[in-house]
Amino acid sequence: MIDFEAVLRGLAGERVRFIVIGGAAATAHGSARLTQDLDVVYERSPTNIASLVRALEPFAPYLRGAPPGLPFRFDVETVKHGLNFTLTTMAGDLDVLGEIVGGGGYDALSPHSQRLELFGVECLVLGLDKLIDVKRAAGRPKDLEAIAELEEIRDLRPSG
Amino acid sequence: MAELYRHCYSPAVLSATSDSMDAVVREYRKGIDRTLIQRNLTLSVEERFRQLMQLQRFAEELRRAGRAAERK
Repeated sequence: MIDFEAVLRGLAGERVRFIVIGGAAATAHGSARLTQDLDVVYERSPTNIASLVRALEPFAPYLRGAPPGLPFRFDVETVKHGLNFTLTTMAGDLDVLGEIVGGGGYDALSPHSQRLELFGVECLVLGLDKLIDVKRAAGRPKDLEAIAELEEIRDLRPSG
Repeated sequence: MAELYRHCYSPAVLSATSDSMDAVVREYRKGIDRTLIQRNLTLSVEERFRQLMQLQRFAEELRRAGRAAERK
């Protein structure tokens, strides 16, 4: 379970440049599927990495599935040397991704994103067509049912 | 190895993969409850997220109840 409001407010509070993707983006577009975590693509500039680290610090991020006691710190150096992080936090499970298969990084995805107001903060959410594209590109069997629903949403929504 | 990659990434193989994905997606679309989507589309984006969080809490409670029942 993830407290979307707390995490989105935290990220926005530090002016982190990020795009909501995955199941949460699908929810924004009208999906009825249950998703347990929040996936975001973050921009990889040094300033933004520092903002991301500051924003997540209050949530005590730790590597999801890693044994307790592992010397892991979600700090600027760690993020600079890594790319994609699957985290467990006090607000719930959070994936912070520098790049995604079939979509690339923040700069490549932002033109395909929509600006939405959520819990009083403005954030970018990956657009429906691109969300379908990246799920197709990932080609994971578990995504096929989600793709089917997203394509149905595309046909059913008023602008579709 | 080069021969294998040439085969795996040949247009014929990629097209077959895409075709089979389309076939599976088409089958899944037949089983989708469109009424749930239609109702969600009447909600604001924030309402959709609040509904998801409610669902997450319910799922968590079901898991807790399941674990409790297993311990008995």
